[in-house]
Amino acid sequence: MPMGHTATEKAGSGGLTATEHRLANGLRVVLSVDPLTPVAAVCLWYDVGSRHEVKGRTGLAHLFEHLMFQGSAQVKGNGHFELVQGAGGSLNGTTSFERTNYFETMPAHELELALWLEADRMGSLLTALDDESLENQRDVVKNERRQRYDNVPYGTAFEKLTAMAYPEGHPYHHTPIGSMADLDAASLEDARAFFRTYYAPNNAVLSVVGDIDPEQTLAWIEKYFGSIPSHDGKRPPRSGELPVTMGGQLREVVEEEVPSRALMAAYRLPHDGTREADAADLALTVLGGGESSRLYNRLVRRDRSAVAAGFGLLRLAGAPSLGWLDVKTSGGVEVADIESAVDEELARFAAEGPTPEEMERAQAQLEREWLDRLATVSGRADELCRYAVLFGDPQLALTAVGRVLDITPEEVQAVAQARLRPDNRAVLVYEPTAADDSADNDEEADR
Amino acid sequence: MSDATTREDLAMSEMTFHPQPRGGAPRPWAFPAPERGALPNGLTVLRSHRPGQQVVAVEVDIVAPLETEPAGLDGVATIMARALSEGTDRHDAEEFAAELERCGATLDAHADHPGVRVSLEVPASRLPRALGLLADALRAPAFPESEVERLVRNRLDEIPHELANPGRRAAMALSKELFPASSRMSRPRQGTEETVGRIDAAAVRAFYDAHVRPAAATAVIVGDFTGVDVDAALADTLGAWQGSAAEPVAVTPITADGTGRVVIVDRPGAVQTQLLIGRIGADRHDRQWPAQVLGTYCLGGTLTSRLDRVLREEKGYTYGVRAFGQVLRSSAPDAPGGSTGASMLAISGSVDTESTGPALDDLWKVLRTLAAEGLTDAERDVAVQNLVGVAPLKYETAAAVAGTLADQVEQHLPDDYQAQLYARLAETGTVEATAAVVNAFPADRLVTVLVGDAAQIAEPVRALGIGEVTVVSG
Repeated sequence: MPMGHTATEKAGSGGLTATEHRLANGLRVVLSVDPLTPVAAVCLWYDVGSRHEVKGRTGLAHLFEHLMFQGSAQVKGNGHFELVQGAGGSLNGTTSFERTNYFETMPAHELELALWLEADRMGSLLTALDDESLENQRDVVKNERRQRYDNVPYGTAFEKLTAMAYPEGHPYHHTPIGSMADLDAASLEDARAFFRTYYAPNNAVLSVVGDIDPEQTLAWIEKYFGSIPSHDGKRPPRSGELPVTMGGQLREVVEEEVPSRALMAAYRLPHDGTREADAADLALTVLGGGESSRLYNRLVRRDRSAVAAGFGLLRLAGAPSLGWLDVKTSGGVEVADIESAVDEELARFAAEGPTPEEMERAQAQLEREWLDRLATVSGRADELCRYAVLFGDPQLALTAVGRVLDITPEEVQAVAQARLRPDNRAVLVYEPTAADDSADNDEEADR
Repeated sequence: MSDATTREDLAMSEMTFHPQPRGGAPRPWAFPAPERGALPNGLTVLRSHRPGQQVVAVEVDIVAPLETEPAGLDGVATIMARALSEGTDRHDAEEFAAELERCGATLDAHADHPGVRVSLEVPASRLPRALGLLADALRAPAFPESEVERLVRNRLDEIPHELANPGRRAAMALSKELFPASSRMSRPRQGTEETVGRIDAAAVRAFYDAHVRPAAATAVIVGDFTGVDVDAALADTLGAWQGSAAEPVAVTPITADGTGRVVIVDRPGAVQTQLLIGRIGADRHDRQWPAQVLGTYCLGGTLTSRLDRVLREEKGYTYGVRAFGQVLRSSAPDAPGGSTGASMLAISGSVDTESTGPALDDLWKVLRTLAAEGLTDAERDVAVQNLVGVAPLKYETAAAVAGTLADQVEQHLPDDYQAQLYARLAETGTVEATAAVVNAFPADRLVTVLVGDAAQIAEPVRALGIGEVTVVSG
């Protein structure tokens, strides 16, 4: 009964449709009409992320994202923010391992302004980019790093885990925020070269979703973006290929001033876009998603050895995905006790597979998460870009939830057996000290 | 690089520039007017049908101010709120969590100064089932001793994590500093190690018996109800909840010491200083609220506001500093003794340790310049356009609409408050907005909390003359 318990008739697509277009300069365009609310979301994904960065220049993709808000030929200073907000819109940009996105949600009658602004910076950023902007945004990004990672307990855990899970030299070895030293080293010429290499219409996907007239929208896109020249100088990122499993357990113990012991681990999982990735998502949900999961029931409810316990999935297309375990211990409980309980639960799950009730719950949870993501025009615009950039087909966004509901218990068990093993993980242990130096994470770095 | 230069040249020579477009005619949108009613058991119900919103949001407001927690039991409201979902007359704690997740639902409950809020989100097709679970939690919680004990231990384990978080630590320090020690507002909302340790199942049951009843509660329900018989679903679920009539709950007026001063919470070696600069002001019943919203936006609502224009975009001291007003608690305007509500007015952000003195100096200059010169008409216009213009975006989801409607109920505001607020923002002039924000953030009557490395920041901060500096341990 693969689709037996779906909450919605069309399994989450809610009757959504999207049309695809391509300008002569290579810019791919995805349009989706939804007249229910008078708003329109514009989302632009550039196919460049921290995986394209080179040694010594980590953090450049994200720093560059900040520079995209510092003005272009016809937009002065902070004009991008001022004009969008002044029109009643909201906006931002984020940088991840695999892409950089820029987005505006506008009252529908101000859609044309957002398109004009995005085109202006895609075509003419370098005419406005100067040292003053770079120096200023370098300081802003360094303060972003301090605020989100360095000045927060366990703040650098994700950075440490990815550094172990993806070996030295691998394009995902470092996270998008970059290192302080590399942020210091970035030059205006680096920024210019980065723009010239990656910020081209043929390296981007533009989606527009909401209360729009598709013909008019397409005409505006042609008018503003159509004359921006394409460019083929982009080098593909270094290969993200790795063996299917790690082939051994990696381990790092961190002694820092943190409030409690912690056991974290990164498991190497299948690439996004595969049935195995969806199966892994369900496995992690059964094991560590929500308050009826196996690990929560075991560690938080029954053993009472943890204050919080869960699994997260970082889906990646260009490298193996990452399953992230995070357990904070209760009182004086030792990490070893938590670790043996976790291993026991993972081994039992691999041996038994999920129960029918667990499958139903996990699928219902993931379905609701999809409905949440598709509940806003901006969420839909982002998902359409994601599937276009990473998998070449935006339509896949509209059927994603159906694919999750199609996974069988046997597939979930198989991925658990193959991947959720001690010899396929990097372990990070925190032992608290009373000294002074401590440091949460995110795969994304907001502007 | 050379071919890249060519491309830039090409770009310059080939891209055709067009003048900035002008917007079209705005399409009509209004904040949804909910349908208000009541069930036979006394439960007030607000509902709003939002086409397309397949995830329905339900918010239940229960009048149970933190101030009514028994002496020495701070945190009992929080533990009770959490214990609502830890077993009922039909399911034990694990089964209840499993049943909720089987619906694809989330259920959160928390206690704040005005009362307890329970929030449910669920796909519309499973609304009746999830409403049944919500009703069980409110109507017949089991409060098993072992689960309450577990929640207490879990809460005790959370406290060190909160104290370690610079933002949370700053908020606790500011409350302690602003309000008299006798006021519940001076103490952490979710209790301290000492008070939480004393909470048991009997105390939780007693707090429930004193406050949780349909006549003292309001349910807000928002989403796409196509194909859902909401009346039948409510009658079968929340309609079965029984309880005595509600008695009015009296609360004491909120007072605070607004003498300008600085408290440093020492964090040796911290690479940043967390700033929280605040005082208290009137609540939304005050006629100046819309003007204050407008002025506060101009001061620190976004990165093009006055504070970030200097502190972030000119100086690079911070990732961002925001000014805001947040209602602490309100009472009905016709309550005996008049309105006793108040809000927290604050400026918050983090700056690198070395820049702490210069950043505060600039922050105070921004406040003094604002007081001396006022806002410009252009600033006011952009702020109105943004605050009013973003409404259809902000209220796209059912959860956003339900949250605002529930806040209105909790703050004793009329159901059309938000809709009227937009109308009033549009009428508010520059002079009014200036007066309101200057009154909200007077440079000499702000309490500053800094969580950071005292050895490095105390001296530069003393030199600023923004008030007496006290250092407390982190």
